[in-house]
Parts: sequence; C-alpha cells; structure tokens
Amino acid sequence: MRSLLLAVLAAYVVSAIHAVLAFLNKRRALQRVSEWAMAAGFVLHTAALIADWAIYGHYPLFYLRETLSFLAWTLIASYALVLYRYRARPLGAVTLPLVSLLIFIAVITRSATPDRAQATTMSATWLFPVHTTLLLFAYAAFFVVFLASIMYLLQERELKLKTFSAFFHRLPSLTTVNEIATSSAAIGLTLLTVGIATGMVWASSRDGRLWHNDPKEIFAALTWLLYVLLILHRSTASWRGRRAAWMGVAGFALVLLTFFATRLMGGYHVFGIT
Amino acid sequence: MSIVLVGINHKSAPVEVRERLAFTEDACASGLRTLVDGEVVREGLIVSTCNRVEILTETASERLNETIERVNQFLGGSNTLPRSFFQAHLYQHTDDQAVRHLFRVASSLDSMVVGEPQVLGQVRRAYSIALEAGTAGRVLNRLVHHAFRVAKRVRSETGIGANAVSISYMAVELGKKIFDSLAGRTALLVGAGEMAELSARHLVNAGVTRVLLANRTEERAGHLATELGGESVSFERLSDHLAEADIIICSTAADEYVITEQMAREALSRRRNRPSFFIDISVPRNIDPAVGNIANVFVFDIDDLESVISSNIREREREAERAELIVESEIMQFQQTLRVLDIGPTIGALRNKLHDIARLELTRQRNRLGPLTAEQESAVEALLLSTVNKISHPLLSHMRRSFDASDAETIQAWRDIFGLEE
Repeated sequence: MRSLLLAVLAAYVVSAIHAVLAFLNKRRALQRVSEWAMAAGFVLHTAALIADWAIYGHYPLFYLRETLSFLAWTLIASYALVLYRYRARPLGAVTLPLVSLLIFIAVITRSATPDRAQATTMSATWLFPVHTTLLLFAYAAFFVVFLASIMYLLQERELKLKTFSAFFHRLPSLTTVNEIATSSAAIGLTLLTVGIATGMVWASSRDGRLWHNDPKEIFAALTWLLYVLLILHRSTASWRGRRAAWMGVAGFALVLLTFFATRLMGGYHVFGIT
Repeated sequence: MSIVLVGINHKSAPVEVRERLAFTEDACASGLRTLVDGEVVREGLIVSTCNRVEILTETASERLNETIERVNQFLGGSNTLPRSFFQAHLYQHTDDQAVRHLFRVASSLDSMVVGEPQVLGQVRRAYSIALEAGTAGRVLNRLVHHAFRVAKRVRSETGIGANAVSISYMAVELGKKIFDSLAGRTALLVGAGEMAELSARHLVNAGVTRVLLANRTEERAGHLATELGGESVSFERLSDHLAEADIIICSTAADEYVITEQMAREALSRRRNRPSFFIDISVPRNIDPAVGNIANVFVFDIDDLESVISSNIREREREAERAELIVESEIMQFQQTLRVLDIGPTIGALRNKLHDIARLELTRQRNRLGPLTAEQESAVEALLLSTVNKISHPLLSHMRRSFDASDAETIQAWRDIFGLEE
C-alpha cells in the first residue's frame, strides 16, 4: 500500500505548494490547482485507507503509521468543509503542508513486528473504530478552531495596532474566523463527548472500569472541560473575540498533550505503538 | 507606420501649464478634426484630464518628424499659447515607447495614485470621442483596445487596485475586515461633515442597510438623512444609539470627547460584545482614545487612517512592479499585431521586386543598345523604373486601400500573388 500512499503524498504536496503560492500571490489559478490536487489526493487517500482495512483485516487506525494517515484524512475532510462553507482559503496554506508532513511520516514509518492478534481483537468490537474515529475528527475540528483563533488574534492585534502586514488583506474577516472557530468548537466538542463516552463504554466492557486515571484520559477530560467552558462563554456572548480565541489556542495545546500523552507517559492507552 | 504620443502629465508639468493645455470634450472633437489631415497625421486621439493631456497619433514612418512638429504646433495653436510656455514640459514618445506609455496610462501605472481606476474610464471616453470624430482608424482602434485589455489584465492579475487609498474607502475596507459583509449593518454618523457624508455613501453602496444621523443642528441631519435614506436621531440620546450601530463615524466640530470610554463600554455590553468600529475623522478628536483599549472595539482616528493609507500606497507600488512586466509582455504582443497591419514593408518589398525585374531586363538587353554615355545609361534606367512605377501605382493604391480597410485576407492575397515574405 506504500505506493498508493506515495501517490497520495504527491497529490497533497502539489496541493500544498499551490495553496501556499496562492496565498502569497493571490492567484486564482493556483488555488484551483491546489483544490483539484487536494480532491484527487483525498480520493486516493480514502482508497488507501479502505485497502489497508481490507488487506490487514483491522480498522486502519491502530499503528502510528495508520493513525497519522487517518488523522491527515480527517484534517483534509475538515478543511474541505470549511472551504465549502466559508471559502476560507488561507487555512489550506497551513493545513495542506501539515497533512503532507503527516503522510510523509506515515510513509517512512514502518510498523515493526505488527501485533496482528492484538490489532484484530481490538478492532473486533464496533466500539474501537467509533471511539477512535470520533476522537480523530474531534482533534481535526479543534485544529480548525486553533487556526481560526490564530487568524483572529493576528488580525485583531493588527487592527488594534493599526499596522497591517501584507497578509492582513488575505485573511478572512474577523467575523468569519470567529464563526469558523465557534462552529468548529461546537462540532469538535460534540465529537469529543461522544468519543469519550464510547471509550468509557468500551473500557467498562473490557475490565468493568470506566476510568483508569491514565494520562490520556486525564488530558482528554481537561480538554473536554476547556471546550465546554469555551462554548458556554461564546454562547453567553460575554467572551467573544480575543479571549475566546486564546482559549481556542490553549485548547489545542491540550489536544496535542492528549494525543501524545501515551507516548510520553505511558498508561492504559498503550497499544500498537511502534 | 509610426505611433507618436506627445503629452504632458502631473509629473512633467505643474498645474498652471496643464490647465492651459487641457481640452474640453468639444475641443477634443474639433481639435482632432484639425489635427488629423489624413496626410501627415493619419489618426489621432486626445486624452485630456486634470492630470494629463496626451495626444496620440498615427503616421507614416517617414513623416515622423513632421508629425511631432504638427502636434506641437497644434497644441500651441488650439490654445493660443507660445510654444516656449509648454515645450519644456512635453514628452514625446514614438512607436514602442508610445505604446508603453499608453498601456501604462490605461493601467493606471502613470497615475498620481497608482491603481486608481478613473483614468481607464477617461481613456475610454477619449476613444469614443475620437471614434465620433472619425479620427480613430485601424491602428489606433487596435492600439486602444489592446490598452483596455492590458488594463484589465493588470487589474485582475496584480493587487494594484486592491487596498483603499482614501479615507472614505478605508471605512468600507476596514468595515469588511471586521464584519465580513456590510449587508444588514447599521452605521451611525455623529456630526455631518463632508468626509463623513462621503464615507457614509460608500458604506451604503457597500451594503450598509441603515444609516443613523446624529447632529447638533437637527435641520442639517434631517437634510442629510433624506439624501442618504437614513434616519435622523437625537444627539442627546447618542449613548442609546451607539449600541445599535456597528460602524460609527464621528466628525463634529466639538472640542471635547463626544464619545467617552464609559459610553462605549455601556454600548458594548448592550451589544452583547458584538464588535464595533469607530472612525474619528474630527480634529480635535471626538472619541476618547481610551475607547480603543476596550476589547472588540476598534477605533481609528484620522492619523491612523492616513498612515494605513500611505502603507497601502506603498503596497500598490510594489504591485505596480509586477504590472510593469505585464505591460512589457503586452507590448511585444502588440508589435506582432502591428506587423500584420503594417503596409509599408509589403509595399516596399513589392516595389523593390518590380524594380529588380526592370533592372534585370535592362542588364539582359544592355548589349544590344551599344555604347552609351553615363547620362544616357541612367536615363534608360530612370525611364524603365518610372514606367514600372506608373503602371504599378494603381495597383499599390488599391493595396493601400485594402490595408486601410484592415482586410487581412486581401493583404495576404496580395502577398501570395507576388510571393512576398511577411
């Protein structure tokens, strides 16, 4: 499946380069190339994931290589949604290079001695794919919140200082990035909630315990709390704008910690790492 | 064929000179009819605006100097000015230089504020005057249309006209940056200065649906309100109206703060923290600068706006460098268009060919003529050549006419018949 993934990588790299150039030059033609390349990459990518699933017999979200690839897939899907809904093209100039990097790492990572048995047992239950997929999509949504928040903060700062960089005019308006952040946070929180819940159900079905005090769980709980606060404050309208944007950034730091927690600190969520 | 452009602009001449040389629309039309005589000057076009007077003409290559002289005389004559008055300020461009100049003017690269689109409209107007006067022919038609194309390309492929460079547009641009679309937004004008009024007009054009006017003298506010389709509101209840407005433009003559930090804070909390955008174009300032420290409130005073404008102008100038490249590549394309149109080389080639035939025949028959003096010899040659010329004259003028009608097919047919290279 490496050759298919290489093709995916190529498409995303083409798309990323054009997205960055389109952002710098404001050329419509470049943006179109970027979007077509991304669409082609996404189709191939979906095919690659399905092929992985069919060939290895487990849901392709187990080993690091698979997780990175799947994460990249959710990022593209989220970016495509934002693009469709808000025409927020500058997001692509960050998302697409990141996705290319993830795929690149996935390509060069080899799963050493894959533990077939474990992978197959774990993905035997429907809860495993649901739990992991939901959470990866939640992470992708929070990444969008993060980017929108950064764009908000950059522009808000420039508006306050009254000095505009060359990029100022290329970013979506404050209202748009604010809306993107709000709606992505709401979607992300919903996914996170359901994702954590299915994780708990699954854990209790395995050993009867909902909570294991493992670092990933703790960080996930903190993340969840933070986004609940963010949503609450946004909806009561007392915390619009800059402070909400800072929460979007802080929230994403927690997401990163959650994602890497197991790798750094071990715990219950250790499996399939290599 | 040659293209000649003689002109003055805001860089080459002060306004005292420009205003004396300027043409009204009527003067353009009648002037063109005088200038274009069909002999020396074959086609002509006058662009006259407050920043420039450009006289664009087309002539035969060998009459280039005559044309320049004629245009100079025309400029002095039609304005009854001594040539010494304007001569030093004139620039004279020919062929590629003239084409480049016209392309740059139309693309607004030669304007006082680079990227301002009005000049294209003025060139368009000048062209339609020339069309009506019948002085725009096959060369200028192509040249001017090509210039329009260049201007369009420059506008769409560079950011030359992108950022606002006037205070009234700044309000629209920053408003869009904050609110995205201005549709459905409310603007509040505090005080009714001319600049505020102009900004409000731009805002309405950009989609602002509701305009509130608060003025100390309600009469003036009422008058403006009818004109802008807005509502006049009471100045005393300004604090209440602040909460309704997304964009507030302040321009009263008051010498104290009309909008205080306290008022802005109250308005913001009543707006449930929705952002608001204050523009203060009054001197002394009418909005407490401390208002700018409140989150979700953006305040721009006149100096802020001016400094953004000057940075936008610098940005435009950077984009202009890219535009110059487009102009250069288009000049090359236009040269090709001209080559097809240019009758001169074809006729020259044909005449040479006929003369060559005559000379060849002379050499062939020379022996039969016996010894001749040098004079006799050249007389024979002259006789041959003038016969050829006389016979070919109607042919060449017919050719010229079909060229004048821009009849590309016939032109090609002529070339094919006589086996001429392009």
